[in-house]
Amino acid sequence: MSANIIDRRRINGPQRSVEPLYTAEAPEPFANGRVDSRALDQVRPIFIKTGSLATQTSAAASPSGSAYYEQGKIRISCAIYGPRQGRKSNTRMGVFDCDFKYAPFSCSWKKTHIKSPDEKEIALILEQAVAPAIRLEAYPKASIDAFVTVIESDGKAATISAAVNCISAALVDAGIELYDSVAACSMALNGSQWVSDCTQIEEDAASCSLLVARMPSADEVTYVLQHGKTAPEQTDQGIQTCINSCTRVYAVICRYLQASME
Amino acid sequence: MQTFERIHPVEFQRRFLAQETRHDGRAFSQFRPTHIVKGTISTAQGSATVRIGNTTVVCGIKAEVCEPDVKTPDEGYLVTNVELSPMCSARFRAGAPSEEAQVASEHIHRLFTKHVVNLSSLCIESGRAAWVLAADIVCLKYDGNILDAAVVALLAALDDLRLPAAEFDSASGAVSADKTKASGLALRRRLFPATFSLVDDAYLVADADDAEEQMVSASVLVILDDNGSVANIWKRGAGAMSRQTIESCVERAGKRKEVLARLLQ
Repeated sequence: MSANIIDRRRINGPQRSVEPLYTAEAPEPFANGRVDSRALDQVRPIFIKTGSLATQTSAAASPSGSAYYEQGKIRISCAIYGPRQGRKSNTRMGVFDCDFKYAPFSCSWKKTHIKSPDEKEIALILEQAVAPAIRLEAYPKASIDAFVTVIESDGKAATISAAVNCISAALVDAGIELYDSVAACSMALNGSQWVSDCTQIEEDAASCSLLVARMPSADEVTYVLQHGKTAPEQTDQGIQTCINSCTRVYAVICRYLQASME
Repeated sequence: MQTFERIHPVEFQRRFLAQETRHDGRAFSQFRPTHIVKGTISTAQGSATVRIGNTTVVCGIKAEVCEPDVKTPDEGYLVTNVELSPMCSARFRAGAPSEEAQVASEHIHRLFTKHVVNLSSLCIESGRAAWVLAADIVCLKYDGNILDAAVVALLAALDDLRLPAAEFDSASGAVSADKTKASGLALRRRLFPATFSLVDDAYLVADADDAEEQMVSASVLVILDDNGSVANIWKRGAGAMSRQTIESCVERAGKRKEVLARLLQ
């Protein structure tokens, strides 16, 4: 299961192992090209539970805030620790640190235990997408740490946007001062059509993927990431459609957060 | 009350234990409510989520193919790893697996590869191809007694596992698999764990949660198999436990086994 490296702190399997060649038939796509019965601009159903990691028994060992997020088959859990003492003691602004990892069984591709560059990159993406929303000047010398674990993933760009939404919900649960919640949504280009919130199968067949993270109340975009080749007008159109989807996702997140306060 | 718990956690627990009860209202010999759900992860070939009280654990098994070891050409591999990360509790640090995680992984690996899974049933073609089952037990929420939860989760995930029918092509050396013709794995025996801990050197409690675990001087994990025979007894910690105590633990583990066997149905 490891690629030529022996991880001394874990049980190791054989040095080399591969997936067998699956002979399964691809599922029949729907009329609009999707693999499930959604419209092209429809996001998968979202479920959020905040305070999922707060245990009544041991308050000292619980994180400050936590959230469990589901979007279709994507399942993500996030724990927020902080504000707690930062590594540098003389910073004027607080530091937001994110640690992201896929559980080994969560991906449809091969995943080892050791952190891949992919995960490190996504951790940076999450930091950059969420940090603008936090009032870091209210937490000098402190650090706010987010630990995100993907339990099941379904579409790389969709999983990253789901992680952004999950962190947003967890930050609210932790009582961290925010300018706004960050809502993110992803799209993929299938032919010349932008399709919202693609599953892994749809994303594999697409030529380009786009991810937008936005603070709707402040009307500010915090992060845009595009993979693949498109014409500038197509990218513009994609970003605009994605921004509209973000607003809808934001409304869902707010509804769950309100329900959790009651 | 909450302030007292934070400032004097040991005294807080003692107030309850002295009255023959526990801080969550359980009796000494009472286990927390247990829930098992199989098939929770669609990207894995076998999976299960287990909740014992607040401790939540997910086990996912992914199957890949490899060349078997030269010394054991008819056997596949079972690789088990327990993951305890800061996501589940503030007690764990990010980065490499802690000692607790390593010890748990090693113990579970030894139990399951020798006594539960028949590694020969993972062989596809003798000496050429075999299945590797990568079982990862990820703790989502930690509230004590990770070992019980991990063993039950792995057992339930193995029950849920469906291996696609595999064919080895000796010309190309490749293995092709058909997901539509998947079959389960016949296990040698099933294991039913029960953990008992000696709290504050005086009180023997079943299924200690995180707050109680901070005061534990010794604990014993008893694992029974389907016939009720003892498959494993593991006593940890330097606290002294008399022989009668351990025998009574084995007896009580029998009752816990009935509960778990029903839930795993």
